Amino acid sequence: MKIIIQSLLMAASTFAIVSDASPSYAFSGLKDQIVPSNKAVILANANNPETAGAENFVAKMAERGINFLANPEITAEQRKLEFKKLLHESFDMKTIARFAMGRYWSQASEAQRTEYLANFEKMIIEVYSKRFGDYQGQDFKVDSARPEGENDVIVTSHIVPKNGEKITVDWRVRNKNAGYKVVDVIVEGVSMATTQRSEFASVVQRGGGDVAVLLDHLAQ
Amino acid sequence: MNKKTGGINKYKAAQKCGLMMVLAGFIVLPGCAAIGGHSGADEPVYVGELEIDDSFENTNRAVFSFNTAVDDAVIHPVVKGYRAVVPDPAREGLRNVLRTLKSPVTFGNQVLQGDVEGATNVVMRTVINVFVGLGGVFDVAGSEGIPYEAEDFGQTLAVWGVDHGPYLVVPFLGPSSVRDYAGYAVDGFADPLRWYLFNIDEDGLYYTKVALDYLDLRESLVDVLEDLQTSSIDYYAATRSIYYQRRQALVEDRSDSAGDAPEIPNYDQ
Repeated sequence: MKIIIQSLLMAASTFAIVSDASPSYAFSGLKDQIVPSNKAVILANANNPETAGAENFVAKMAERGINFLANPEITAEQRKLEFKKLLHESFDMKTIARFAMGRYWSQASEAQRTEYLANFEKMIIEVYSKRFGDYQGQDFKVDSARPEGENDVIVTSHIVPKNGEKITVDWRVRNKNAGYKVVDVIVEGVSMATTQRSEFASVVQRGGGDVAVLLDHLAQ
Repeated sequence: MNKKTGGINKYKAAQKCGLMMVLAGFIVLPGCAAIGGHSGADEPVYVGELEIDDSFENTNRAVFSFNTAVDDAVIHPVVKGYRAVVPDPAREGLRNVLRTLKSPVTFGNQVLQGDVEGATNVVMRTVINVFVGLGGVFDVAGSEGIPYEAEDFGQTLAVWGVDHGPYLVVPFLGPSSVRDYAGYAVDGFADPLRWYLFNIDEDGLYYTKVALDYLDLRESLVDVLEDLQTSSIDYYAATRSIYYQRRQALVEDRSDSAGDAPEIPNYDQ
């Protein structure tokens, strides 16, 4: 259960497959851990002023998420709404979506781009709220951070189940004018951005190089 | 690297070539048959910066669909039954025992990779878990800060600079690459436990262990796979991407951090 790590490790030795994946996939592995916790988020003790802001941003985002996910009194609908708000505010959807489309972005018309951005965000919210809907509370701990590139910080965190091994989740956080935004989530070495980009490229390629094929899939 | 290591290297490389030829024998025929209808075959496939070889994509996709059907119909229901019947601590105990049984192979691979710290950790984990953790049932070492690290000969080959070779999806076993399947075969062949059990005519015990490894693996993957299956628009491509990324992380022994994340441009400028 728990962990994708294990899954992956095992996968490595036997057959390998896939796993844990995108950020999300990791969380799906958590669903059987019904461990309500009052102290789900442990704030980072940030020493480096350069990365402290990003670390606190991740810790607060997680705390906010866990607060409504672990609240048994709100309905699934409300949870989804909260989730949507949180993702919308904390994730740089446009950058994530553009990266996922890779070089096909330049082939898309203005109308296609608009449609794509709208459907991409919808899909992400759909997928994530479903994944986290089963999540009942785990300890979440921000451990460290390091600057990456010109204006990014990679914040390393751990999801710690009551039993079993912890899952390493890295957040690539970008400091934008409007504050910090997540641009990638990397679970046990598997990047959400890379996975989506590979997947979308495959869809377009197999569709004969037509971006419209990807849009059709996303619209479904 | 000294001469001795070079010798081992050559020997293993020769062994690997033989295995790769055997594996290649399984895939070449169906692979050739499928090339005609391969859409998008001329476009390179990338996972991050890494260009991967999926020359047998059509065959792989066919096998992948087959595996998915088997998972849905048989494997996932069986795994969920296992979950329902065997409580969590027992499953975890089984996993710890299986890892302990694998430690000679893990140790050998750490040594071949020149990872002294990793090799030391394997020995310490094994000693602690066998003697303090009731024969390996409890991962005492893990809770004392010596985490389990999966190592296999596919990773060793990667450390030695061997590329993945073509991506391969094998019936029932799932996605991997020629290199990693060859590594899996070498690990199985070299496993001292196998030699021992075969020598004392307890082949059945060895195969039971192999079956339990499989059950444990599938149990650990079921949530991830079911989630990925419903959330992806191209389950095959998503799986393939994750496989390569995850293997890369394992090869680099990245347990504390994701290592190199993809460079994401700033599109606003």
